[in-house]
Amino acid sequence: MIYNAREWARLRNAVLAVSVIAWIAILLQPRVASCCSVNGAGGSWRMLIAANPPRALAIDWALMLVAMMAPMLVAPLYHIRISSFARRRLRSIALFVLGYGAVWMAAGVVIVAMQLAASWRLPQSYLPAIMAGLVALVWQASPLKQRCLNRCHSHRPLAAFGFAADLDVLRFGATTGIWCVGSCWLAMLFPMLLSEGHFIAMAAVALLMFCERLDPPRTPAWQWRGFGTALRCVALRPRGPDPLTAGP
Amino acid sequence: MGSGAQSFHFPPKGTNPMATTYTRKNAWNNGGTFSNLDLLWYAKGVGKMMSRALNDSASWWFFGAIHGEYVNPNTAWYPKPAAFPAWKFIKPGPAVPSTPLPTKANQDLYWNQCQHQSWYFLPWHRGYLLALEAQLRKDIISLNGPATWALPYWNYFGGTNGSQFQMPPAFAAKKLPDNTPNPLFVTMRYGPDGNGNIFLPTAAGVAAHPGDPNFSRGQVNANAMNNDLFTGSDQVTKPPGFGGPETGFAHGGGTSGNWENNPHNLVHVYAGYYGPVTAPFYGLMSDPGTAALDPIFYLHHANIDRMWALWNASGHPNPTKSTWLKGPTTRKFVMPGTNGQPWYYTPDQMKDLAPLKYTYQELNVPAPPAMAALPKRLALLGATGATAEAAEPAMPKETELLGASEKPLKIKGRVTAASVKLDTKIRNKTRKSLAMAAASETTAPDNVYLKVENVRGTFDATVLSVYVNLPEGANPRENPQYLAGNVALFGLRMASIADGQHAGEGLTFVLNVTPVIDALHLSHSLDVDALRVSVIPADELPENADITVGRVSLYREGF
Repeated sequence: MIYNAREWARLRNAVLAVSVIAWIAILLQPRVASCCSVNGAGGSWRMLIAANPPRALAIDWALMLVAMMAPMLVAPLYHIRISSFARRRLRSIALFVLGYGAVWMAAGVVIVAMQLAASWRLPQSYLPAIMAGLVALVWQASPLKQRCLNRCHSHRPLAAFGFAADLDVLRFGATTGIWCVGSCWLAMLFPMLLSEGHFIAMAAVALLMFCERLDPPRTPAWQWRGFGTALRCVALRPRGPDPLTAGP
Repeated sequence: MGSGAQSFHFPPKGTNPMATTYTRKNAWNNGGTFSNLDLLWYAKGVGKMMSRALNDSASWWFFGAIHGEYVNPNTAWYPKPAAFPAWKFIKPGPAVPSTPLPTKANQDLYWNQCQHQSWYFLPWHRGYLLALEAQLRKDIISLNGPATWALPYWNYFGGTNGSQFQMPPAFAAKKLPDNTPNPLFVTMRYGPDGNGNIFLPTAAGVAAHPGDPNFSRGQVNANAMNNDLFTGSDQVTKPPGFGGPETGFAHGGGTSGNWENNPHNLVHVYAGYYGPVTAPFYGLMSDPGTAALDPIFYLHHANIDRMWALWNASGHPNPTKSTWLKGPTTRKFVMPGTNGQPWYYTPDQMKDLAPLKYTYQELNVPAPPAMAALPKRLALLGATGATAEAAEPAMPKETELLGASEKPLKIKGRVTAASVKLDTKIRNKTRKSLAMAAASETTAPDNVYLKVENVRGTFDATVLSVYVNLPEGANPRENPQYLAGNVALFGLRMASIADGQHAGEGLTFVLNVTPVIDALHLSHSLDVDALRVSVIPADELPENADITVGRVSLYREGF
């Protein structure tokens, strides 16, 4: 790559700033802070829809996406930046975000519908969250999850000129979005099904998803992933033999 | 460095407690034959390690797999259907085992660790050599060999008039002096002529064989020794720098550091290379998943390591960022110790030879060139007074795309050409900067780089020469002024696996085309819409060679 450490740092800081602003916005909105918590839970389906207008749900969902997903987009955004002519960079990044966001918004229809259905049928119950959590754990350890993660790391060569360049970044955004949804959809659903503690669960899930992207791609297999790096990130590394003294 | 690092010690316990500093010597001493006892004892030590089972962490095979392997069928990169380079398809000798596999825990801890296309390339390999050398020394002592034994190095740039471009003859002998099989001999080591004659087309080799087509392939050189940055770029160092790009744990894929690109990658490929063009096989040295099975590997890397030490001794510092000093966070560097316990290490511990208690026979800092490259360039561009002492090379202020090809390329036949379309405005920016350099001594002219992106495929064993604006039909060998550089595809297969450790992005090469662009500018030929980039394999490729290039692009770096 034609890597420029200063440009990387500038882009990373900008993306992290956007994420932090979204987290603050979530904290300032009690409704979103409770992870798009559903109003009118336990009433009729009509009541539920009336109390949760699609527009409000879409805005809440989009805010969650920006907060949780933006830090994972530094690498693809940098790839676009260095692969595009300087005057096209913003436009290319916007098209990537459009493609990526469209996929996640479409996935959001299904995920939020599952959340609404759970609130409607089992109001205030932990059962849906427990079930989603268990399935998410199985998914987290599965080879398919690793396959999705590996694809998230892949950065295709991009066309540089004209309509082909626009189409390429849009497609790159959509493709990255598809693999990202495949990797993270269950982890996103879990905090939304909790009747309390949403915000903490959301933050924990965001940390796990960020950390699992720090690990390099690997052969798909059944194994835990992300937790070790996440523990190291929060400096809770389990104590063991000092690696440097365990010499030959 | 933490308290743990203070208790770090080398050489390992169990070797020679009396020895303070080991000296690695030139493999060409005593003609590079078994009269050189370092080579004779190396052969005996390798033989002893080869006698152990694959799952024994002190075996030759286990150490080979630490670098990289195609022996565990459950990895994403194991060929499907099973075929070469899977280890069970390697032609003996040596007879490479494919069972019994070590435990999964041991594989996860040690195997597939080599760092390539990364700023960890040099320190990781230094630790790897130390661990292997310690194991060999222990085995050599057990065979009544010298306790002072150290790994020899193959200095392909060395000897009178650079005469050591040929592999030391001890590696080509089928028998040891006692008439037993020579563990240093490898059948699948083809060399550039495909016949087991291992030589490298260095400048000295070319000079010694004028007109010989065997020496007309892309040259192995030490030009990167003139770099002044370990990571990054400036006016005299092209990206990603001498030591490689800043990465996390990187088991291949991406862009090689300048020292890794040439000579390291080219020596790997020329030593391995390939035989008859219809065969699916290539030499072990050409692929990181088989390379460390070949005993010449470690002599090549000892020379790479030696010249890193020389680069440091010439006043060029290593990175000081904690992310380099401490190593990657996601996986630690670890080798089996001679006591069977894991030995963990960091780049911080590898950055200097003295605490590691070894040195090299040749560590003479070369004299600087009579005229540094930067004033030479400025003088060429017409800057008066440019012959003065070179100022501190400037750091780039901006890096931007200047042009790109519009379609992917498939490398086939003798020449594959791409048209790299230029953006008019940015081209004019570069032209202006070159013109300004002539008018003002304070204006630094742009550097221009060619980027060959996302090279993917399954055939590692070739060297590609890349030319810019080579006239159609012109003989590339007779027109070196158009040469952008030579790249070897060492690591191509592993970097192209979708579920491999680089997500199948393949390899990317960055070549400095500033001299070619300067020449175009001076001949008033830069005012064009596109440049022609020609990719020329060193030899005819096998029919099954599958090599594609995602994009060819040009970048300007403004200062």
